[in-house]
Amino acid sequence: MKTLPIPDRDVAIFRELAGVVGPGRTIVDLAELRTYECDGLAGVRVRPLAVVLPETTEEVAGVVRVAAAHGIPIVPRGSGTGLSGGALPVPGCLLVVLSRMTRILAIDLENQRMRVQPGVINLDVTRAIAADGYYYAPDPSSQSVCSIGGNIAENSGGAHCLKYGFTVNHVVAATVVLADGRVVTVGESASDPLGYDLIAAVVGSEGLVGIVTEAVVRILRVPELTRTFFATFPSTDEAGACVSEIVAAGIVPAAVEMMDTLAIEAIVKATGVDWPLDVGAALLMDVDGTRAEVEHTAGAAVEIARAAGAIEVRTPKSDAERALMWKGRKGAFAAMGRISPNYYVQDGVIPRSQISTVLREIAAVTASEGLRVANVFHAGDGNLHPLVLYDARVPGEEHRAETVAGKILQICIRYGGSITGEHGVGVDKAVYMGELFGDADLETMNFVRCTFDPERTFNPGKVFPTPRLCGDVPGAYAPHAVEATGVGRG
Amino acid sequence: MRDVRVGGTTVRGTPARSIVAPGDLAEAAAVLGDAASRGDAVAFLGGGTELGLGYAPSRVDVLVKTAHLCRVVEYAPADMVVEVEAGITLAAMQRALAPHRQRLALDAPYPELATIGGLVATNAFGPRRLRFGTFRDLIVGVSMIRADGERVRGGGKVVKNVAGFDLPKLAVGSLGTLGMIATATFRLHPVPEVARAIRVGACGADGLVALTRATIANRLEPAAFVATRDAASGTYEAHVLFEGFDAGVAEQIARFATIAEAQGLTSESLGDGERPGALDEAARTHGDVRVRISVPPGDFVAFERDALAPLANVLGDARAIVYPPLGIAFVSGYATGVPATIAALQGARRAVEALHGNLVLTDVRDPALGDAVDPYGTVPPSFFLMQRLKERFDPARRLNPGRFLGGL
Repeated sequence: MKTLPIPDRDVAIFRELAGVVGPGRTIVDLAELRTYECDGLAGVRVRPLAVVLPETTEEVAGVVRVAAAHGIPIVPRGSGTGLSGGALPVPGCLLVVLSRMTRILAIDLENQRMRVQPGVINLDVTRAIAADGYYYAPDPSSQSVCSIGGNIAENSGGAHCLKYGFTVNHVVAATVVLADGRVVTVGESASDPLGYDLIAAVVGSEGLVGIVTEAVVRILRVPELTRTFFATFPSTDEAGACVSEIVAAGIVPAAVEMMDTLAIEAIVKATGVDWPLDVGAALLMDVDGTRAEVEHTAGAAVEIARAAGAIEVRTPKSDAERALMWKGRKGAFAAMGRISPNYYVQDGVIPRSQISTVLREIAAVTASEGLRVANVFHAGDGNLHPLVLYDARVPGEEHRAETVAGKILQICIRYGGSITGEHGVGVDKAVYMGELFGDADLETMNFVRCTFDPERTFNPGKVFPTPRLCGDVPGAYAPHAVEATGVGRG
Repeated sequence: MRDVRVGGTTVRGTPARSIVAPGDLAEAAAVLGDAASRGDAVAFLGGGTELGLGYAPSRVDVLVKTAHLCRVVEYAPADMVVEVEAGITLAAMQRALAPHRQRLALDAPYPELATIGGLVATNAFGPRRLRFGTFRDLIVGVSMIRADGERVRGGGKVVKNVAGFDLPKLAVGSLGTLGMIATATFRLHPVPEVARAIRVGACGADGLVALTRATIANRLEPAAFVATRDAASGTYEAHVLFEGFDAGVAEQIARFATIAEAQGLTSESLGDGERPGALDEAARTHGDVRVRISVPPGDFVAFERDALAPLANVLGDARAIVYPPLGIAFVSGYATGVPATIAALQGARRAVEALHGNLVLTDVRDPALGDAVDPYGTVPPSFFLMQRLKERFDPARRLNPGRFLGGL
């Protein structure tokens, strides 16, 4: 095989990177790089210039300085499970893969804090403290493989964020390597932080502000009791009405998930759960809390489901049976392979009360392109996951699926919702940011990015629909007397 | 536009050259745009309940009152989301939500006076923070008027949304230094069927910590858990609020009483006037020296011994309310001589910072005290990023100039 000569500049970069992390953790071989050409958004592939696998904050800072010296863009990557292309390389970039930073650094049960490296797998946080009766609340469906660093970048949610909030509500401090290699801690692990909420700027920044190399997360006491039920309905209309009535009754479920007929079929085929195939929709719901409270709310919710037209209501007889129900739900995306060669997943959000109406519109749009759509989603907070099914071998189908996916986002925007509830904007939905937000809104969000990364070294081309420069800060900055004389007089 | 010029209005001692009360958001944007074109410094005034925070701004050319910006912009009961203008009071907003048995689950003091804009800008909270968190856990959208008069928004009106940078949370606690909060959108919670409080007393700091630990160990889920300090004896009474459905609350109250009894403490149900929120307000709005302290909850005993008690013992008619599970304390009282009070505040701050916590002056009436003791203490290592953020949002430094942390 003929190989092209490697440019002298690249040879120098490779040598410097190897000098920081060692040759064994620097990947420049074209065949090996192929593994890193995409993340969970598998339809798009870009080869990075090089991949590095640092193991410490100092190594991350070192490789960032190498990239900065040569003016090459940096894309951070965790487990690579993201669905919006957040970890998709940009041409000529250095891909910094954090998957070897998997140490749990400290567990502080008394203050309900845990310090972890970014490569720690989401579920491993909970596993480390489960025996003590604690857990980490954010639970994306990919939690057995996705990393905390990736969760922080995307502000990941999950089924139970309905009651417990998102990653941003559970990260209290983070160590961040900035574009010039400077290492800074934002937030405060011990107490209420002073000043602006920089954690909110870092969590959900989709890799645009720096590389998180350590995080302090909040851990929670496992609730005393969790009750689960699975209910089937003639259609998504009754299931949607059931969710609304449960919420109207003053119940705050820990999670309410909805699946339509196609999704149920795929899950049954893939996981072997014994769910009925001749129903229009199913709900999987958790309520948790103290014993008497949960007994009451679970009972009330089941009554509401029956009154709302449930065909059947099942309650698991054991923890194993409950775990199987949730395994079915969390394996839904992977199960799509059983009913379609390919699928395109969306992540739109709509006001909860509009679920039935919007599902009908989505079905109509999909049918008009001659395709099918499966729906499996977080009904409690209106976070839809329409899976547009297609066969890439059929000419034109993939393009039609993308068209449908785009129209779905436009429907969500029209109903006052959002283009992404938990998967992130990435490259996949950047074009729709301009439909969701005005130019001045995006300019203001860019202020935040430029605060951290004025040269736009990190993940360029993501999130914002059109390239935005940072520019110099206009006007003369006149420090306040307090700043000029030094702060913190004690 | 209603110009409500009032002589003598000041912000932390800095006089306002003019006061404007826009009638709607378009007028507010015009006011900020005009100020930008003139290079005027702008500050904001809601209910005036947190005017003691921060440094004196270097100048206030225009003080924008939000009093007339008090509309409920959109309320979707079925979606449990509300958008309101900044000038609406917390109580007025709650009244709008009450017919649907919904509420913003945040019980900051002075609900009849405090405005949503002011509460968000100061990151105010009350005892229910234990269960429901702070504004950063409840805000889902914001619209702001930038320093240049441009109206911008972030977030949205759905509870789950990760599109773009999180401007709503950046607005929380920004003390009017990044922009004017024009509207805020919140996720709501149901008003519980019942809310019942129980009082336990009296115990020392170690007893209070033991009670807190037992509550967590037994997996009880109080909505609020605060304690008041008796100045004479230095002991604490805990006030614990349970909310939910009747059966659940009854069970939790009974179990909590058993836990208290096992520790040799007596308990009794509280009357309506003794709700934790009322106690919180009474402690936090008292005296002429007030501080808010945050420390790791696990270090509460050391904190109480080395910081809280010495400070409370120096202040006259001292009151303290603590949130033991969260490591938060509010201490208030009357200055008893400038040198002694300065020494007590500085000593408390040293002890708190040694525990990796912070002590913020929320109000100090005596200028001599205010000059001697920094309102915030040591700035965090990320302060340079906060300076850069301020430069981006307000490059000419005209929004509440110098008021916030480190003179931001």
